[in-house]
Amino acid sequence: MTEGQGEREGAQRAREPLRVLVAEADEAHAREQTGGVLDLEGPLRRLGHDVTLEIHRDQGAALTALRGNHADLVVLDQALGEGFWRCLEAAREAAAPALAVVRDDDEAFALEAYRAGAADCVRLGEDFADLLPIAAFEQLRRLTHIQQRGEAARLGKTVDELRRYNQHIIQNMNSALVVVDPSARISYANPTAERLLGGEPGELMGSPLRRWFPSLEDDEILPLRTLADGAPYRGAEMVVARVDGRLIPIGMSCAPLIDGAGAREGVVAIFQDLTEIKQLERQVLQTEKMASIGQLAAGVAHEINNPMGFVHANLGQLSEYLDDLGKVWDRLEGLRAAAGSERIDADEVRRAAAELEAVIQEVDAGFLLRDFGTAIRESLEGSERIRSIVRDLRAFSYQDTGERVPTDVNRALDSTANIVWTMMKHSVVLTKQYDELPPISCHPVQLQQVFMNLLVNAYQAIEARAESEETLRGEIKLRTALEGDEVVIQVADNGTGIAPDVMKRIFDPFFTTKEVGVGMGLGLSTSFNLVEQLGGSLQVDSEVGRGSSFEVRLSLDPEDRVPARRAR
Amino acid sequence: MSELPVILLVDDERHILSALQRILRREGYELLTAASAGRAQEVLAERKVDLIVSDQKMPGTHGIDFFAELQRAGRRTPRVLLTGWPEEIPQRELDEAGVTALLPKPWDDAELKATLRRCLGLAEA
Repeated sequence: MTEGQGEREGAQRAREPLRVLVAEADEAHAREQTGGVLDLEGPLRRLGHDVTLEIHRDQGAALTALRGNHADLVVLDQALGEGFWRCLEAAREAAAPALAVVRDDDEAFALEAYRAGAADCVRLGEDFADLLPIAAFEQLRRLTHIQQRGEAARLGKTVDELRRYNQHIIQNMNSALVVVDPSARISYANPTAERLLGGEPGELMGSPLRRWFPSLEDDEILPLRTLADGAPYRGAEMVVARVDGRLIPIGMSCAPLIDGAGAREGVVAIFQDLTEIKQLERQVLQTEKMASIGQLAAGVAHEINNPMGFVHANLGQLSEYLDDLGKVWDRLEGLRAAAGSERIDADEVRRAAAELEAVIQEVDAGFLLRDFGTAIRESLEGSERIRSIVRDLRAFSYQDTGERVPTDVNRALDSTANIVWTMMKHSVVLTKQYDELPPISCHPVQLQQVFMNLLVNAYQAIEARAESEETLRGEIKLRTALEGDEVVIQVADNGTGIAPDVMKRIFDPFFTTKEVGVGMGLGLSTSFNLVEQLGGSLQVDSEVGRGSSFEVRLSLDPEDRVPARRAR
Repeated sequence: MSELPVILLVDDERHILSALQRILRREGYELLTAASAGRAQEVLAERKVDLIVSDQKMPGTHGIDFFAELQRAGRRTPRVLLTGWPEEIPQRELDEAGVTALLPKPWDDAELKATLRRCLGLAEA
């Protein structure tokens, strides 16, 4: 038997009733002995419900049972004759303590039985009906004691030390631990639990468990569920209210507490404060968002740089145009003065007109006036381009308020696509096919983050394929549609596609096939989580060498989109 | 009147070409334009050009690759590369493409004019 098996069976035995195997003499054998057939069952019943009795009158059956049965105690009747010794040996081999029932006052037989490995002998007499269960009980008590000792020995400790050792672990563990009694009140809380809930030592004791979870229904409070159905629950996130009223996120596991007889005594719950983990999660999300934005920044800068360049250059030129036209204006003033004086001097008027004509020729005033308008028109077009980029970009620059608002999915997709487009415009053709959609209630920033991740991935898949296929004409197709009560958003590319072995892991956090620095491997797992939080689904269809198509489905009905908070 | 120096301006952005033409309007050049490296090659096949000014980032062939093609074809026309990210292009590539000068985008008008004059071997104005 391996050590693992031994431990498992030991643990199993601790919960199950103790098993006592009784080998009695049959009538024929018993008649040979004085006293006849003995009633062993009656006295042994007094051991209580924690004990099951297995009574054999047939020697062979008793032996078979002994060899395969893992009895906790064996009771053997001297009247078995030769069978007594065989059974005793089998009991010794099975490491089960054996209690010998000695007929008469047969000291020699008792001595022989002790020598052969009997744990104790009970002599037949007036008190037999009392003595037998007491001796049996003593053996069983010793047995459980030995089991404890075995555990203690394994840890190199005495039983007392073991008790203190366990106590020490519970008192000092980093996890909070509470025991809930069957009336759903806290019957024990370790110091970590007291600290986490902000209570004074002892303050938690006897308090109803519900008090600590004001925001949850009974079936959402795990220990109450365990109390009701006896099932263990693991790693569920819940919100607990501290003594000071502050709500904090916790991760909890529960197990039923079972007493020696197998009855449920309550629930043990272990939990940790997830506040820091939640903060880190938010930071990581933000970091991933920043990483994607970093990739986008260059594309956006390029996109703004061109219009900025010609708008700026045009303004410089328009300023020069204005100087030149100013010269024309000066000459025009001269002409007006000459022509408008009281006594008109025809020569002076002619001279002023000639000067005006000369400066008009010199500065090419006709061209200036025509081009003035063209330059302004082109500059307005450039500034409009910059304005729309900034408008699309703004969607990424503010923090999510956490509010669900009616959101135009097409608009969210389009503004995101326009921004991402700036970094891929030279290598990818983008086609858009938007269905008319009703607004859906969600977090627009989260939705845009999902779209951005999908678009950046699509672009990167195309870039990767283009490395080995120079003639590749990159293509990303965006499609939105209303299907029943669902909004469907598809982002399809003709990039590398996803290999089947990679496909299994694409939604895993930190899984990435990209080079170091290109991404943290959180894009798709983040997208998956965000879509899940919105109560939707994210699916992918892909073929190596052909491309991938990602599909987001969101329900129109907000009732279907309550984020799951239950144990999984 | 002697022939004016001919400058070929290459950029996929129409309004950039238009702005460059405005700035260089009175510099005493004949200005030709092309919207891509391919169009520029066609112009070069027909006309004698004294200086080429090309944008770097264009659909199809980028400016640096266009210049490298000219270099491989044995053409020695001085050439100016216009780019928003001059530091992104390794010196080795600039040498191999025979780039005479780099100009940042957005440019400074005076610097632009001075650079073109220098590349054409003309005296400072």
